[in-house]
Amino acid sequence: MSRREIVCRCEEVTKEEILWALRAGDASLEAVKKRTRAGMGYCQGRTCKRLIAKILSEYYNLPVDRFLPGSIRYPVGPVTLQIIADLDASGGKDDED
Amino acid sequence: MAYIKNHPILGTMEKKRYVTVTVDGRNIQGIEGEPIAAALLANGIRVFRYTQKFKEPRGLFCGIGQCTDCLMEVDGVPNVKTCVTPLKEGMIIKTQRGFGEELTNGKL
Amino acid sequence: MENYDVIVVGGGPAGLGAAIEAAKFGAKTLLLDENMKPGGQLFKQIHKFFGSKEHYAGIRGYKIGEKLLQEAADLHVTLKLNTRVWGIFPDGVVTAYCEKQSMKFRAEMLILATGASENVLSFPGCSLPGVITAGAAQTMVNLYRVLPGRRFVVVGSGNVGLIVTYQLKQAGADILAVVEALPQVTGYGVHAAKVKRAGVKILLGHTVKEARGKKELEQVVLCKLGKNMELLKESELILEADTVCLAVGLSPRVELAALSGCRLVYSPVLGGMLPWHDENMCTTNPRILVAGDLAGVEEASTALEEGRLAGLAAVRKLGINLKFAAELEREMGQIKARLNKLRQGPYGAKRQLAKKELLSKGPVKEFCL
Repeated sequence: MSRREIVCRCEEVTKEEILWALRAGDASLEAVKKRTRAGMGYCQGRTCKRLIAKILSEYYNLPVDRFLPGSIRYPVGPVTLQIIADLDASGGKDDED
Repeated sequence: MAYIKNHPILGTMEKKRYVTVTVDGRNIQGIEGEPIAAALLANGIRVFRYTQKFKEPRGLFCGIGQCTDCLMEVDGVPNVKTCVTPLKEGMIIKTQRGFGEELTNGKL
Repeated sequence: MENYDVIVVGGGPAGLGAAIEAAKFGAKTLLLDENMKPGGQLFKQIHKFFGSKEHYAGIRGYKIGEKLLQEAADLHVTLKLNTRVWGIFPDGVVTAYCEKQSMKFRAEMLILATGASENVLSFPGCSLPGVITAGAAQTMVNLYRVLPGRRFVVVGSGNVGLIVTYQLKQAGADILAVVEALPQVTGYGVHAAKVKRAGVKILLGHTVKEARGKKELEQVVLCKLGKNMELLKESELILEADTVCLAVGLSPRVELAALSGCRLVYSPVLGGMLPWHDENMCTTNPRILVAGDLAGVEEASTALEEGRLAGLAAVRKLGINLKFAAELEREMGQIKARLNKLRQGPYGAKRQLAKKELLSKGPVKEFCL
């Protein structure tokens, strides 16, 4: 029996699940992410984004850069809420103030 | 523990401080300050955790703290990236199951 | 909040080069790197670099890293390690954290040298312990003297794949094969020759079909590829490997560049999506420059030079120390000449062309070489 082909390692999304999402009509990294959680994990798609873009490219017969770079949002990388909350304190006295 | 003590380019390994830690209750030795994952590999341990969804084994993958395959519970804290966390004497390392013992046992 | 003339994100050869030149011409410079040790990929490289004297020919990668670090320290570049930048905001504010400490800086000019990350492959069983990236193998073997396995299959015959094969052999590993999907080796002849002399088999026109094992990798199933890159099922080859090293290319780490408004372009030759930049490493954001693998996957020597160029261009934009303006221009010219020289030969020429295309086409997203 063949092992699963894991595409999104963080969220354990298989190639089969992604193809199912495409058959259901998903045509972008964002859409696939929302349906399967692929790209929503700890690494935020850093590992799987290009793989999924390639799968999209092959399925829709379109160049891979049609699907890249996908969405990129703050923060880059996981950041605890404490770090964000501490931002005001971390600044200290502004030079200009 | 298998370290490449004599390497054709890197030369002879300099003196290092070895420390003892436990992995799932078993004592192993590793080099202080080097990544936990390196010590585990030197001791032939390659399975670091079992995943939440499919309960599949994972170990080292990217080696630079980006992919999160290498996560283990260290001193009671889950999701520690063992490939970039330095080894310290007396660390209690456990094979992580899912998101960690507390969450998996429903104790939140 | 600490203000700086120049903040460099990424402490590999490009970032170090940028910080050194900026500091040399009087900019108050901060260099941030997310790792515990700076130097990027240089510290993993134990082979001797080739090229010219300015590019430290004949010196091993990790020694070059040490030299650059010392130079930066001597020039009083503020270096913060283990510091991860998570945001760049329109007012020039850079947010970062180091362990539990939240940090905020302001920069007049920003140089992004965040490098590139390794690509991966998926195949049944690819998540088994034992399947690792080439970088992970280099880190464990060259930095920590630990072999992550005993019997290796290396996937990819580019420079990274060939170099890591040779480095693994030096460490005493058994390389069962180097697997390449294309019908020819894609790395430099000099590296391929070294690998062949070491007795390693390079299997062209093959790929990994499946990885097998109970809890760890025990077997790899290879497969020949047909004319249209389809798997030829009758041609399976099983190898008793316990480790697979993926060396299938790098892609620029564009997140910070994209977030801070730098327009991206697509160039397969340079690694995929990357920030558009001109011949002075300036992006579509007037306060941001890029250098190194982020600006197109190349080599350490070009990364170092691009970093230097970006550092100088940033200082020029700042307009500080104008009495050195002529010297600065001269140095920029020399660096560009050296970059041209580095980009000779079949591989370099391709990238040179790709970079020229970026310039002529401008920052349009629908760019493809």
